[in-house]
Formats: sequence, C-alpha cells, structure tokens
Amino acid sequence: MHFKQDRMTVKERINALFQNIKPDRVPLGSLSIGFQLINCGYALGDAYENAEKSFWATKWTAEQYGWDPISQLSMTAVFGAEDFGGRVRAPKSVYEGALVVESYPVQDEKDVDRLTMPDPKTAGRIPIAMRFAQLQAEHDLPVFFASRSPFTLAADISGVAPFCRWLLKKPELCERLIDLALEHITNVLRYWVETFGSERVFAWMIAPTESNQVISPRHFAKYAIPSLVEYQKRIQAMGIKRFGFHICGEQNLNLPILSEVLPWKHPSVLSFGHEVDLDVAAKYFPQDIIYGNIEPAVIQTGSPEDVYRLCKLAIEKGKKAPGGFVLGPSCGFPITPPPINVYAMTKAVHDFGWYE
Amino acid sequence: MVSKERTQEIFKGLSQAVISYNEETSVELSKQALEEGIDPYDAVMNGLAAGMQRVGELYAESYYFVPELLLCSDALYAGLNILQPHIKTKEKEFSTKEQIVIGVVEGDIHDIGKNLVKVMFEAAGWSVHDLGKSVKLERFAEEQLKTNSEIVAISALMTTSMLAIPKVIEMVKAQNPNVGLLVGGAPITRDIAMAYGADGYAGDASSAVQEAYRILQCLRNKKNR
Repeated sequence: MHFKQDRMTVKERINALFQNIKPDRVPLGSLSIGFQLINCGYALGDAYENAEKSFWATKWTAEQYGWDPISQLSMTAVFGAEDFGGRVRAPKSVYEGALVVESYPVQDEKDVDRLTMPDPKTAGRIPIAMRFAQLQAEHDLPVFFASRSPFTLAADISGVAPFCRWLLKKPELCERLIDLALEHITNVLRYWVETFGSERVFAWMIAPTESNQVISPRHFAKYAIPSLVEYQKRIQAMGIKRFGFHICGEQNLNLPILSEVLPWKHPSVLSFGHEVDLDVAAKYFPQDIIYGNIEPAVIQTGSPEDVYRLCKLAIEKGKKAPGGFVLGPSCGFPITPPPINVYAMTKAVHDFGWYE
Repeated sequence: MVSKERTQEIFKGLSQAVISYNEETSVELSKQALEEGIDPYDAVMNGLAAGMQRVGELYAESYYFVPELLLCSDALYAGLNILQPHIKTKEKEFSTKEQIVIGVVEGDIHDIGKNLVKVMFEAAGWSVHDLGKSVKLERFAEEQLKTNSEIVAISALMTTSMLAIPKVIEMVKAQNPNVGLLVGGAPITRDIAMAYGADGYAGDASSAVQEAYRILQCLRNKKNR
C-alpha cells in the first residue's frame, strides 16, 4: 500500500469532525462486530462472548484497514430479549451472523406486567461489553456505549411480530415496554458514565425496528419519537458530548419527522441505510455528521470495483455535507466479505477522500 | 337460495373485514356465509382473498405497513379457518393448483417477511408448504420433491444467511431444473438473486405472487418450446 501520509492522527481526525473542522481526509468507519473476529482467525461467537479477543481483533483489523474508531463496537451492551430474562445464544452455524434469540421474555400480554428491571451491571452480556469498554479506555480510544433505541429494544423484549400487532390493538403494552426499555438503557448508560466519565463516553444508538420496512411514519412519530426525545434529554443531562445514531434501513418517510424534532446535540453522527440518498440526508441534517452508506450486500457479494465505485460516489456526495462525513457501511459490516472488498473501501478513502 | 345481492354483501363484508383487520367480523360473516348457503370457495376467493389483495396494494402504496399486514392476515386466517373445511375436494384441488415451498434459510430466524409472503400466496389460492425459519438447506429440495411444487421461495435477512441461498438453488435445480426459484429478503437485490441463479426476485410481500406467476409463465413457455 502506498497511500498519501495522513496529516492527522485518528484522535485529531475525530475531534476535528466534532468541532466542525474539516479533517485531513474523510474518516473511515466500519460498524463491524463480527468480521474482525473471522479476520483474526477467531470464532464469530467470540464477538459476543470474549471481550479480549473481540477488542484485539478489532484493534488489529482497524489498523490493517485504516478504520477510524467511529464507531468501534463489540456489540450492543443491552439486549432486550436477554436482559429481561429471555434465552439468547451466540452464533454457531456458518450462516448465523448475530446473536440468536431462542425465547423471548414476553410470550403473551400478561408477561408484560410481570417484567422486572434488569440489573444494569450484571444482566445479559453487559459485563462483557463493559470489559470491552474498559479495554477501549485503557488504549485511549473513545469508550462506546452501544444500545438499541428504546422502541427497538422494546420490540426485542416481546419479538417484533407481537409488538407490531399491539401497536394497533393494544398500544398501552408497547408504551409499557418502551418505558421499560428506556429505563434499562438509561441505567446501563449511567453505569458507563460512572465508570468512565461523561467526557469519554460515546453513546451510539441503533434503530432498525423504526424503519419504514416495518412501521409507518405515523407510528414512528407517535411511539418512537417521544422515547427518543426523552433519551436525548437524559444523555445531555449526564453530560455526554458525543452521540451517534444508526438510522437503520429504509427511513425516508421518517426523516421529515426526525428533522423537525432534532433532539440530539449538534453535531452528532447520523448513519444511514443505503436506501437513503446521502444528499437527502445532508439536506435534512445540515448540522450533523453524515455517515454511510455502502450496502453491506455489495461488500459481501460484489467485486472490489463495485465497492470502490460505490465508495467514490458516496465520498463525492459526503464531502459536500456541511456537517461533515464519515464513509462506512449502510448497516452492520458483513461477516465474511472478500478481504479485497474491505480494502476497496480503504483505497477509495485514500484516493478520493482528501480535503484540500 | 341466497340472493345475488346478499351474496355480494357478504363478499364485500368479508373483504372489508380483512382490510380493516377485524377478526370478529371475518368470523361472523364466514359463519353467516355457510348458514345462508353461499359457496365457501366463492366466499374465500371473492371475499377474504379479494380483501387481502387490496391489502397488498395498500402496502405497496405505503399506506399499510407490517403491523397492518399482520392484523389483516389474522383476519384472513380467522375467516379461512371457518370456511376452508367446507370447501369441496374438487374446488380445493382447483383452488390449490399452484404449489409453493417457502422458508427462511438456515442461520436466520427472521420470518416476518416470509410469513407475509405466505399469506399473500394463500390468499391467491396457492397451496403453501411452509418450512418455517432457519431451515436446513436440503429441506427445500426434499419438500419440493415430496410436494411436486412448481416454485420454491427462499428468504434471508442477513448478509451471512444470504450466502446459503445459492446453495439451496443449486440443490433444487440439480434435482429438478424445471422448478422456479423465487428469492427475497432485505439484503437481496434482483441482481444478487439473478447472480445466485434464481428465476425471480420479490422485494416485498405484495409483489411476490405476481413474480411467481411470471416465473411459472416462463417455465411453461420453455416447456412448450
């Protein structure tokens, strides 16, 4: 590799983004949880069960491909199904790409009232995520706290299909689950802040169930937005300065609603699915850092030329975003892409991503 | 003998019960249809199924989303459970002349989309052999052989599980090259589906049935040449 020498350190580049200063070049994000484990010869399940392996695999892979730590995740610290008492296991089969929910804590309506708040320090995989965060802190990296949105986490407690039915038939059950989810996320986030200090914590949120592939913008406004606003109030009250939001999948119909509410502090990182045009994203959110949006299926199944071409287009659009831009995948990084396709993203950033 | 007007009223009511996801009305009108001597097959096709077809259109128009679709399918099944046992065998055969095997591939437990596709096929009168979720790859070919289904529909929601799709296609085609393979799921595009060797691709539940008929037509044309 003969790339032009970076003029900023990784830390300087990320700091510049948040100060609304043009960095030396477009940062490269990864949204990767599993690829790095396979890349380093570990089992995918280690991403969810072994913080040390997960951390070192992430560190080495980030160095190999020039990934900037925005975001750098082991996994989401909170899992609705597992933390509230359901059964979840790490991926085993070659085709399993993430945690597998074997049973949900809520099987029927009556179970909703029986739910109790999980321990924010010991439930589910929180201790593993905390260990990963400690390693980030020890290595002077941003300490990420990754969670699902309250709405998505609520649907994870009951399963998406029952949750969707209740949205129309028994919305009070959904509201109760959303309240519980919000409290749980906040409690665990508070644990992160108490451990590392608010200055070091980078809160990252993922919201797939809000996508318009699942719910209407009407339901998004009515049920997802209030908890999102409340979560932001709490994040800001805790003194957290950095926030990233993966607006997962097709959310074009939700964007006008989100852009009117704008509950987060600016700039925040807003990561978009490939279904959202980056120009459209930048127009709706000019004060924020736009992140995206290379389709994971292309990284997984396309040629390096395909990936490189998509990255070039994304960089050309993204560099015009007034709030800044990070090149990255449009959703979770694929687990087993051809390594040359991963390199194609790095090459594109170095070929087209420099700010003059 | 029930009047034409009354028959139409029941059909319209059943259709509306599905569209407005009203399970109780669907059950009630299905019972009334039987009591009043309306042909249960006609009640299914002109009432419940017609309603579900409209639901598919509303989904395609982004007026309905997954919650609405799930409840509409509940209303459809509530009526079907009443009417289907009374459909005469000959009509059953007629109504289920097309058969499809459907499932989510091994390693993937996301089955909402697959279930919505299933209900669209059932509403269109197909016989659906649902293998469920996280289905062992060889099960698709086995079930196709057992049922002699013309179409096998395969879905995946993850970039890991989508890698199983070409393997399933290969297994099914090796066994019977005249079977149509229909592919769908969030990470899949038409280009990827074609590269995997599929005969068709559906981006959502509302377009799957139409795509299956297109595949069938192509296969039949090929056979007649």
